[in-house]
Amino acid sequence: MELRNKKWTEEEFFKVRKEVLSTWPTGNDPELDLDKAVAYLKSIPASKNFALKLKDAKEHRVRTLVQPRAGVALLNEHIALLQHLEKAGADFLPSTIDAYTRQNRYSEGEEGIKRSEEAGRSLLNGFPAVNHGVKGCRKVVESINVPLQARHGTPDSRLLAEIIHAGGWTSNEGGGISYNLPYAKAVSIEDSIKYWQYCDRLVGYYEEHGVTINREPFGPLTGTLVPPSIAIAVGIIEALLAAEQGVKNITVGYGMCGNIVQDVAAVRSLQQLTEEYLEEKGYKGCCVTTVFHQWMGGFPADEAEALGLISMSSVVASLAGATKMINKTPHESVGIPTKEANADGIKASKIITKLLEDQTFPESQKLADEIAQIKKEVKCLMDCVYNVGEGDLAVGTVKAFEQGLLDIPFAPSKYNAGLILPARDAEGCVRILEFGKLGFNDEIKAFHRAKIAERAKQDGREVGFQLCIDDIYAVSTGHLIGRTSYKD
Amino acid sequence: MKTIVIGVIGADCHAVGNKIIDYVLREHGYNVVNVGVLSSQEDFINAAIESNASMILVSSLYGQGELDCRGMREKCVEAGIGDIKLYVGGNIVVGKQNFDEVKERFIKMGFDRVFAPNTPIEADLPFIKEDLGE
Ligand code: B12
Repeated sequence: MELRNKKWTEEEFFKVRKEVLSTWPTGNDPELDLDKAVAYLKSIPASKNFALKLKDAKEHRVRTLVQPRAGVALLNEHIALLQHLEKAGADFLPSTIDAYTRQNRYSEGEEGIKRSEEAGRSLLNGFPAVNHGVKGCRKVVESINVPLQARHGTPDSRLLAEIIHAGGWTSNEGGGISYNLPYAKAVSIEDSIKYWQYCDRLVGYYEEHGVTINREPFGPLTGTLVPPSIAIAVGIIEALLAAEQGVKNITVGYGMCGNIVQDVAAVRSLQQLTEEYLEEKGYKGCCVTTVFHQWMGGFPADEAEALGLISMSSVVASLAGATKMINKTPHESVGIPTKEANADGIKASKIITKLLEDQTFPESQKLADEIAQIKKEVKCLMDCVYNVGEGDLAVGTVKAFEQGLLDIPFAPSKYNAGLILPARDAEGCVRILEFGKLGFNDEIKAFHRAKIAERAKQDGREVGFQLCIDDIYAVSTGHLIGRTSYKD
Repeated sequence: MKTIVIGVIGADCHAVGNKIIDYVLREHGYNVVNVGVLSSQEDFINAAIESNASMILVSSLYGQGELDCRGMREKCVEAGIGDIKLYVGGNIVVGKQNFDEVKERFIKMGFDRVFAPNTPIEADLPFIKEDLGE
């Protein structure tokens, strides 16, 4: 099938579906019959539907809602983990999927389950949902009282999407760009967009049959100094691609950069621009919400310092007005957290969202300028994409990455140009040091150059890769900006 | 100029540390062959044979290193490079575990040195120098 941003017909969808379900034995489960799956999803109470809870949070905003990451190899242990996190106050629950499943290596997932049983501890970094199948997934949903989402990083998540939705999970994270370029090295964007058109079409099918399901593009990308406008452009593209396939409930995401004004500006721009583009392209009646990811780069190893960073992240998310926030834990820099450490992360985050429930970040010239800057940059990138795609968003996305007009810092994929280098300016805002072929106009480039030159001058050093490396390490050593002059 | 093979093993996509290790080792005068993320034991070993490398630095960040690294020394022996220096580092097991025990497990697997989380490559350079007889 030729790649276009066009809604798949049912015939096209069902043809591919047959192949998808035959790629692993759990795809044979009779409960994957879509009539049965629809009936099961309809039996799930509204309070456990991800899309409905988000819609309600948007319409009757009280505070930013909190969701952890969590997943282990074995079913009963996974359930015990989620129940513990629910008790700690999680507003939404995840099932973070293990990394073999993310690469469709289900037989290694099976081996991981076996070895975890033998070792008495999880040797997998997540929950292998495809191996546990529809029945396992339903058991998870039935054991908790809040909505459940699959969180992963899977370029080809078609079978996973089938199994989790039939299993009663009412949200799926990911997208054809955000779950490819940061997570793979040799999957073409053309392929991953098709895979995610399939996942979105599946959600569209459920919508048409009276079940609303949330979809969430992965905003932080590589989590490492990603300039806001690049992350936002990718989020908007994935939201538009999803809406074309019939998705109605979309949560766009953003990973904290660290300068508070820039972060607040980014969340507001993300919400406004996504709604504007959906409206402009004719997708009516979509419910758009936002998710703020607590600091996604390297964390400090000290647990108290990590909690400090978690708390700061929560302040920014709350004041920015994000609908939801993904929390980190005091174990972040070392390893997958215990359920106790994860609960600490949730509690530290949640109290802040409650304390700040009646406050928002005040308007100021500085904030307005930053919003204007981000919007200008996003618009410039989106224009490039539509331009090279001759009006087709999916084709434009493939070509824009091919030509480096879109480029994600530090992404491992060979389908990403990898020419741009980010760095912080004198106030810690993430700017761009090397543009590669990025589709910015000269005015925008001049702005970034001036900002970084100002920082380098303050530091008395040259502009180059070492500046960027120092910025990557900085937060884990207790500073936002990687200056050479710090004494502690 | 000594050659070092670097990369990230298994189904692991963490690329940032790998790019920095590549840069820092080159800056310090090594010839670097980088097999990149999502690499199998064979990818590392083939690259080491082809480049006549003195050392392999295996990175594992995502936790499943304990599964991915099993049998790597034996594979080196089979391939005729049994004496090559094998290092592993990053976040090599799932969760925050007692590092002495973790180290023990990987030494038993045949790794020459095992590095704890949060040891940046810059801090590891003296060991590399020493083991390469520089
Ligand atoms: C950024 C990040 C991501 C980004 C990565 C983007 C990319 N493509 O690179 C994204 C968001 C995509 C991501 C995804 C995932 N991540 Co991640 N990620 C991180 C994070 C926050 C920082 C990593 C980083 O870039 N650090 C900066 C670099 C410079 O440091 P470094 O990687 O540690 O490398 C340095 C040193 O360790 C050393 N070093 C590294 N290797 C070696 C080898 C040798 C021999 C030597 C001597 C030295 C050495 O030198 C490097 C340079 O100084 C860490 C947690 C943290 N550190 O705070 C988690 C972390 C590594 N991720 C983790 C996990 C589990 C995942 C996922 C599997 C998702 C999940 N289940 O939660 C997926 C990966 C899926 C896959 N297929 O691999 C876990 C691993 C847990 C564990 N070991 O128990 C961590 C520790 C977070 C946590 N506590 O849960 N992640």
